[in-house]
Amino acid sequence: MRAALLIDRIVPAVLSLCAAFAASAADSPLVGREAPDFALRAMAGDNVRLSEARGQVVVLSFFGSRCNPCRAQLAELDAVYRTYGPAGLTVYGISIDDDAEKARQFSASVGVGFPMLADPQKAVGREYAIDRLPTVVIVDRAGKVRYVHRDPESRSEPVYVRELRRLLDE
Amino acid sequence: MSASVDTSEIHMPTVARPIAALTRLLLPALLAGLAGAAYAQEAVAPAADAPAETRALDSEVQDLKKDVVDLNRELFILEEELLFPANTQVAVFVSLDVGEFFALDSVQLKIDDREVSNYLYTPREAEALLKGGVQRLYVGNLKTGTHELVAFFAGKGPNGRDYRRGASLNFEKSVGAKYLELRISDRQRKAQPEFEIKDWE
Repeated sequence: MRAALLIDRIVPAVLSLCAAFAASAADSPLVGREAPDFALRAMAGDNVRLSEARGQVVVLSFFGSRCNPCRAQLAELDAVYRTYGPAGLTVYGISIDDDAEKARQFSASVGVGFPMLADPQKAVGREYAIDRLPTVVIVDRAGKVRYVHRDPESRSEPVYVRELRRLLDE
Repeated sequence: MSASVDTSEIHMPTVARPIAALTRLLLPALLAGLAGAAYAQEAVAPAADAPAETRALDSEVQDLKKDVVDLNRELFILEEELLFPANTQVAVFVSLDVGEFFALDSVQLKIDDREVSNYLYTPREAEALLKGGVQRLYVGNLKTGTHELVAFFAGKGPNGRDYRRGASLNFEKSVGAKYLELRISDRQRKAQPEFEIKDWE
């Protein structure tokens, strides 16, 4: 009975999880490389340069105002940011909307505590090879890209919280 | 006859191939492990000399680090000389003086109507400029002759209002490096910022 349960449920779950990890890591050529530096205008507040956050674990969440899952993703990240911010976590939301006003309205409606940046030229989006939204890029304290999450399975909160905790301990 | 022997040596049986690969991988690892163990034994045995040895090792590591830094610096200079030879080099610097009437946000730089730089400043960078830092905004190559440099400065002007100004300079590029400085200063009498481009002759 137990063996059947193991074969029927647990093994496929573990395999799919491994596949999701492998897919998310293999998909991006950025993993293991230095995160491309950028400077962007914040929708409220000061300009931000990524390299100034060196020494902190940085999460970049690329989003668009017409992307529904992005809203939930940003809300989840906000909760993570409030918990792990004091431990050295920085989160930046990066809007790749053409329309700056729409991006601003969307950001205001989400109401997160971390800086929301505008990339209307999509220069940063291109550098990070963003081809679907939302995409989450996790950069370690040394400035290297460690994880890129594009698919919904690997983008779930428990997955990246586990990764973030590991990186914050490094 | 000898040819057939050679062929059998080259074309290994399919089962033997992974084993050979495994051996190739494991053998160096094992050797390294043994060497490490031997070194550990040696290191543990003379306990009294340990601090002296550690100090010597530490100093060696420091020397190596210094060598790496020196080499990196030399490499950087060599790279600069190769990419931007002195006879074609043009460098543009930014300096900010006082900054009471202007908070720098960005500088857009055009040479001969071509955008060569568009730099966004963070508060930390602007503060570094205010403390006397000089930033090399652009370095590139230009042919000898007359050229035009146009710089657009954006930021917050007096009373915190959005402020955008331009400055331009026609300059002569001769043989030898050309250095230009974008200088932002306060004009106290008019309570306005002043933007000028200085040609370092």
